[in-house]
Amino acid sequence: MSAPRKADSAATAPILEAEGLTVHFRGKDGAETMAVADFSLTVRPGEFIGIMGEPGCGKSTAAIALIGLVRPPGRITGGSVRFMGRELLTMEDDEITAIRGKDIGLIVQNPRTSLHPMLTVGNQISRVYRAHNKVSKKAAWRHAIDMLRMVGMNDPERRVKAYAHELSSGMTQRVLIAMAMSSKPKLLIADEPTSGLDVTIQAQFLDQMWETANQTGSAVLLVTQDLGIIANYCDRVLIMEQGRIIEEAPVRQFFEAPKQEYSRRILATQRQEGDDASGEAHHGELTDAQTIIRVAGLCKQFPIRGSAEVVHAVDDVSFEIRRGEAVGLVGESGSGKTTVGRCLVRLEEPTAGDILFHDASLGGIKRAAFTPYRKAIQIVFQDPFDSMNPRWTVEKVLREPLDLHTDLTAEQKRERVVELLEMTGLDASLRADQPRQLSAGHQQRVVIARAIATNPEFIVLDEPTSALSPETRIEIIQLLMELSRKLGFAYLFISHDLTTVRVICHRVIVMYLGQIVEVGDKDGVFSHPRHPYSKALLASHLFPDVTNRRVDRAERITLEGEIPSPVSLPKGCYLYGRCPSQKAACADAPQQLRAMPDGREIRCWRVTEGDLPEAES
Amino acid sequence: MSMAEGRGRGRGRGRGQGQDSAPAPRRWLFARLDAFSGNKFFAFGVFIVALSIFLAAFGAMISPYDPQAATGDISVPPPPITEWPRLFYLAISGQLERPPHWFGTDQSGLDVFSRVISAPRADMTIALGGALISLFLGTFLGLIAGFYRNWATELMMRVSDVLQAFPVFITAMILVSLAGRETGNLVLALALVYTPIFIRLTRSEVMAQSARGYVQAAWAVGNSGFKIAIKHVLPNSLVPSLVQLSVTVGFAIILTAGLSFVGAGVRPPTPEWGIMISVGAQQLILGEWWPSIFPGLAITVTVFGYAIVGHAIEQKFRET
Repeated sequence: MSAPRKADSAATAPILEAEGLTVHFRGKDGAETMAVADFSLTVRPGEFIGIMGEPGCGKSTAAIALIGLVRPPGRITGGSVRFMGRELLTMEDDEITAIRGKDIGLIVQNPRTSLHPMLTVGNQISRVYRAHNKVSKKAAWRHAIDMLRMVGMNDPERRVKAYAHELSSGMTQRVLIAMAMSSKPKLLIADEPTSGLDVTIQAQFLDQMWETANQTGSAVLLVTQDLGIIANYCDRVLIMEQGRIIEEAPVRQFFEAPKQEYSRRILATQRQEGDDASGEAHHGELTDAQTIIRVAGLCKQFPIRGSAEVVHAVDDVSFEIRRGEAVGLVGESGSGKTTVGRCLVRLEEPTAGDILFHDASLGGIKRAAFTPYRKAIQIVFQDPFDSMNPRWTVEKVLREPLDLHTDLTAEQKRERVVELLEMTGLDASLRADQPRQLSAGHQQRVVIARAIATNPEFIVLDEPTSALSPETRIEIIQLLMELSRKLGFAYLFISHDLTTVRVICHRVIVMYLGQIVEVGDKDGVFSHPRHPYSKALLASHLFPDVTNRRVDRAERITLEGEIPSPVSLPKGCYLYGRCPSQKAACADAPQQLRAMPDGREIRCWRVTEGDLPEAES
Repeated sequence: MSMAEGRGRGRGRGRGQGQDSAPAPRRWLFARLDAFSGNKFFAFGVFIVALSIFLAAFGAMISPYDPQAATGDISVPPPPITEWPRLFYLAISGQLERPPHWFGTDQSGLDVFSRVISAPRADMTIALGGALISLFLGTFLGLIAGFYRNWATELMMRVSDVLQAFPVFITAMILVSLAGRETGNLVLALALVYTPIFIRLTRSEVMAQSARGYVQAAWAVGNSGFKIAIKHVLPNSLVPSLVQLSVTVGFAIILTAGLSFVGAGVRPPTPEWGIMISVGAQQLILGEWWPSIFPGLAITVTVFGYAIVGHAIEQKFRET
C-alpha cells in the first residue's frame, strides 16, 4: 500500500506555480478588505499539501482562487497562477473552463448541497466526464460506474442510479471525489472534505483519496483545520494567518520544530492534551468509591411516523458510574450515545430497563416525579448558545436552578451567582450580559456554571467541547477536570473526540449501533483495544503524531461500508459485514457483552472465547 | 443613544441653551426611530399609526363640522389644492364665517373632511379591537397547540383549518348578519376570522422553539411544563405574531370598510370610510369624485402605515 513515490518529486517540473496571489473583498461601504495576500505556492506531481489555519484566515479563499474562482463580492487583485506553464488568471473563460474539471478537480465542503438534487449521481459524473472527453453517453456512464468503484463505493451499478438524497453523507462525499477524479486531474483541490464525517468514514475517505492520488499521480491540495489530518496524510504544510502564509514546511519538520509563534501555539495545545493523558496526577483512587448510577438493560426505541417499525436507538445498555468517576462514552453518530445521556436526565423516556440513582429507581417513574432528582443529576449540551434562553441575562440563567431547587434569599442567590461565575473562571461583571454577547468559550462556562449550581453528584456532558475551537476546547477540559476534583461530581463524557476522552476519563465505554461493544479502563482501551470495532475506531482516529502516520502503516485497519440502519438490525453480530476479523459464524450469532477476567467487558465471541489470536488483537 | 445625540447636535440650530446632551424630544424620537429600523419610511409608518389612534380617540372632537349633521351645502367640490394655504390662513385668523369644506361635501351636505377624520373612531376600534383579540386568543391557543400535542389540540387545529378555508369576507359577513350589526359583534367577527392565523403562526414557532436546546435545558434544570411554556417558549415565539399583528390591522381596516360598503357593517350615518365610499360611489358617475376618493385615500394610507411598521419590526427581529 505504501507505494514508492515522490522520491524524485523535487526533480520533476512543478504542475502549479502561484505567485503573489492576492484577493480582496469589497464591503458594503466600498472599502476593500484583503482576504488573501501574496499567496505563493509550488505544487509538484504526486504531492499531498495541507493548508491550515483558523476559520476566516483565507485558506479556502486562497485554494479556490488558484483556479480563478472567488465568491462574490471578492476579486483577484494581483499575482499569477501558472498551471503546466500556462497562466490561468488571464485566460479566456472557455480555456480555463476546459482546465477546471479536467486537469484540476475541486472538492468542496458540504457535499450534499454540491450535488444536483434532481439528477442521478451517474448522470452528474458522466456529464462532467463528457464535458471534457469526447465519448458516448454509454461510455461515460460506464466510466461513472468505474469511478464509483474506484472510490470504494459498494455496489456501484446500483448507486450510479441513485439521487443525492438517497446517499449518506459519506457516500455523497465519495461521489464528489469520483466526479473530481473522473478525468484524472493532475491537481485535486479539496476544501475541508471531511468536516462533519465520522472518524471511520473520514479515514476511509482520506485513504481513498490518498490511494487514488497515488494511482493517478495527482497532486492534492487539502484545506483543513485538523492537525490529525495534516500529520497523517500530508507531505508539506502551509500555515495561514490573516490571509498570509506564515509558515511552510515539510510535515515532519513542522511537527518537530515549528518556526512561527502561531504554529507553536496550536501544536502546544495538542501536546498539552497528550501530557495530561500520560500525567494521571489528577485521577484519585476510585476503586472503593460507592456506585451512584447504575444503568440496567436500558432500551430506547423511537417510533417511525406512519410505520409499525421502530428505530432501535439504544439496545440493552448496562453500566455503572461511581462517585467522582469520569466515564467516556464514545461512538460514531448513530451509535445511540447521546440517547443514553438524554435518558439519564429524563429528556427521553426509556422504553425498557432501569436507571438506579443510589437506591432510587428512576427508570419507570413519571417525568414530574423525576424533578427532585434534577438537583443531583445535570447535563451540559453541545451547543452552549442554543442551550440558554436567548432573551435572558447570564444572571437569570444561573438563578433559574437556584429558584427551582433552593430556598435561598434573593441576596444569597445573587452571591451564589457571583460565586458560580468565579468558579468557572468568569468575571462577575458578565452577569448582565446576554448569551450572544459572550464568546463560545464563555457561553459554555456559563452553561457549566448552571449545571453545577445545585452541587450535583452526576453530570452528563454531551459533546461539550465539539462546537469549540481547539484552544477553547483545552480550557474547557481543564475547567471540567478542576471542577470535578473540587466538587467531587461524577460525569459521563459523551464524545466522538477520542483525543479529549483520553485526557479526562477514567473509564471508556465504546458504543456501536445502540449496543456497548467494549468497556474498560481508559489506558487499557486506548493502548490495547480488543473489540474489532474499538480497534478500527482507534485506528481511524487521526492523532496528530508524525511518528506513526496512518499512510506509513503496513496495515491500515478500516471498517468496510457504513453503519447499518438502526431500523432493520442485523441478525447476528451488528458489525458483521464491516468487521475485518469476521467469520461466517458471526453472521447469525447475536453477540453478548461478557466480562473478562481483567475487568474488561467485550461483545465479541471471538475475543471472549480466545478464538481471535492475540497477535491479531 | 450616542447616534441620536450626534444627530441632535449636528442639526441643532437655535437651541442655544447649552443643552447639547439633551436634544429636542422630536429629533431624539426620530433618531431613535431611524436607528430602530434603519428604514426611512419607518418614521412615516409610526406617524400614520399614531395619527390613526389619535383620530380614533379625538377625531370627532376636533372635526370642524359635526360629522353626522348636514351643513346645507350640497355636493360642494373641495377647493383647489393651491387655495388651501390661503384658506388655512383665513380660517385660523378667524376671517371666515364658517370653516372651509376642505374635502367638499356629499349629496346630503355632510362635510367630507369632518367625516374622514371622525371615521377612525369606528374603523380603528373595530379593526384594532378585532386584531388584538385575535392576537391574544390565537397566541394563547397556538401556545397550547404547539406545546401540548395531543388529539384535543389536533382537533383544534382542524377546526381552525376549516375556519380558514372560508374566505374571510364571507365568514365575517355571515357572522355579522347572524349576530347583528352592533360594533361589539363586528369586533368579535373580525377576531374570530383572524384568530386561526395567529394560532398557526404561534404554533409553528412554538414547535420550532420547543426543539431548541434552551428548552431542553429548561427541562433538565427542573422546570414544569407550564413554566417552560410561559417563561421560555412564549417570549421567544412572539415575533412572528407581532409582525403579523400590524399586517392584520391593515387587513382588518379593509374588512371593516368592506363590510360597511356592502351594508353588513357599521350603520349610516355613523362616520365610517366604507360607508362614505359606498354613498359617494353613487355620485361618481356624475363627476363627484370627492366623497369617495378621500376616504379611499385614508384607507390606503392607513393600511400602508401599518404595513411599514410591521415590516420594520420584522426586519428588526430577524437581524438579531
